[in-house]
Amino acid sequence: MLQVLINGIVLGSVYALIALGLTMVFSIMRVVNFAHGQMYMLGAFVVYYLYGQFQLPFWLALPLAGLALAVVGVLFNRLFFQPVLASAKREENSMLMAVGTALLLENLALTLFGEKQRGVPPVVDGSFIFGDISEGGAILTYPNAMVAALSVTAIAALLLFVQYTRPGRALRAVAQDKEAARLQGVDVKSITTLGFAIGAALAGLAGGLLVTIYGVNSGIGSNISTKAFIMIMIGGAGVTSGAIVGGVLLGFAEAIGYDLLPGSLTYLLIFVAMIVFLVFKPNGLFGKPWG
Amino acid sequence: MSAIPHLELCAVSLCYDEVRALQNVNIKVPTGDIVALIGANGAGKSSALRAITGLRRVAAGEVRLDGHIINSPSAQEQTHALVRQGVVMVPEGRHVFPHMSIKDNLLMGAYTRRDPARIASDLESVCERFPRLRERFHQHGSSLSGGEQQMVAIGRALMARPRLLLLDEPSLGIAPQVVRQIAQSLVEINRKDGITIVLVEQNSRMAMSLSSYTYVLETGNVALEGPSRELMNNDHIKRLYLGG
Repeated sequence: MLQVLINGIVLGSVYALIALGLTMVFSIMRVVNFAHGQMYMLGAFVVYYLYGQFQLPFWLALPLAGLALAVVGVLFNRLFFQPVLASAKREENSMLMAVGTALLLENLALTLFGEKQRGVPPVVDGSFIFGDISEGGAILTYPNAMVAALSVTAIAALLLFVQYTRPGRALRAVAQDKEAARLQGVDVKSITTLGFAIGAALAGLAGGLLVTIYGVNSGIGSNISTKAFIMIMIGGAGVTSGAIVGGVLLGFAEAIGYDLLPGSLTYLLIFVAMIVFLVFKPNGLFGKPWG
Repeated sequence: MSAIPHLELCAVSLCYDEVRALQNVNIKVPTGDIVALIGANGAGKSSALRAITGLRRVAAGEVRLDGHIINSPSAQEQTHALVRQGVVMVPEGRHVFPHMSIKDNLLMGAYTRRDPARIASDLESVCERFPRLRERFHQHGSSLSGGEQQMVAIGRALMARPRLLLLDEPSLGIAPQVVRQIAQSLVEINRKDGITIVLVEQNSRMAMSLSSYTYVLETGNVALEGPSRELMNNDHIKRLYLGG
């Protein structure tokens, strides 16, 4: 039981980080970034190469993964999303384009990195042991603890940034009322780009963190995106607290499922539960815009 | 008063798709005045404000601020850049940020400024002007009444330290005693702070009693203009806009 709790906390904290990135982009642009999982995958590859192959310190490789993805985010926004959103009269256009960017990244990754599963040497070694494992005790490995701690740190930093800084306020303003934001002197285009960059960077950070536990391959993107969609649908798309709650809930559902059920049954049940949930709560738990 | 009007619309036309919302409109706003734009729904009042703030590019003519063109068919200042030049609008329906505290709403008004000490003192003076806001400083915008939201919207605009304040229907949907309070504060803002005001209103009586000059818009044209005091005694105005 304690083990399930620990696994849930570890998974939930990274998932919340993933969901926050997706919800950030959604709240500001009203676009679902289908490439979020692929951005996660790229972040994982950045850490794989910098830390795993070129042996840079992990503490340097991880921020660089975030930074690299922020750059990808800026380019994607300026080259693909903003032009299409500016000219599109229907939502389908931007949605199809978003799906296209996901395919683009995935195929680029397949071409550049191949399809092999890759891992990195552990950053930290060892584990905390709680009680006697054969009698209901639990184990928390240092890598898992590190991933959870860094995820929580990143989430806290993001929340403080959004809540208490001038650009953070502008992000919230743009998410809540674009025209009113413009009338306060906000350059909506730049702030939108900033939001997209942050969203992409969060995906990159999450990928760079989880590669230390699960490794990476070019195809994991859509799997991560699907999980991210589930999380923001549970919480309510575009809501900070919703993304966090959605991430933690999915993390725990997964931890409990893997403990009690055989293999693939867990996600089958999660999807069924999701459908039932959406019938009763189509806007998620907190159905209001980003705030 | 300088020879060049603070704000000038010269032969401005403005369209939404095929619909012409303004046609050859000329408006002059002298520095330090309150000028009213009145008229029925769809007469083009809000469109005039959108032309001034650059929210919509004009189809013909030009808008000048202190003699410089800020909106013409070939060149248009961005709305956010105009805020830096002191052109600030309180939009119709107030558009308070719903999921932000009053404090953050007001701070958003000071977004273009980089002088934290004076921002803090301006925050204080907005709260002195509208004491209701201090009581609700940490509540979200969506939890306020219409009148309180209007105070936030005006306070937020003042936080930008405007030279030209544009108000779109500040009395709409607000209790009469609050309307009086807001009208009073507009006079103060104009007299004490020396801010030029363009007031768009369906509440013609209030608009004309506050302003020195009034433009009456009808179907996208200036149908009538003159000193507000004179227009208030005009039979046409009395019949159509002042209810008898």
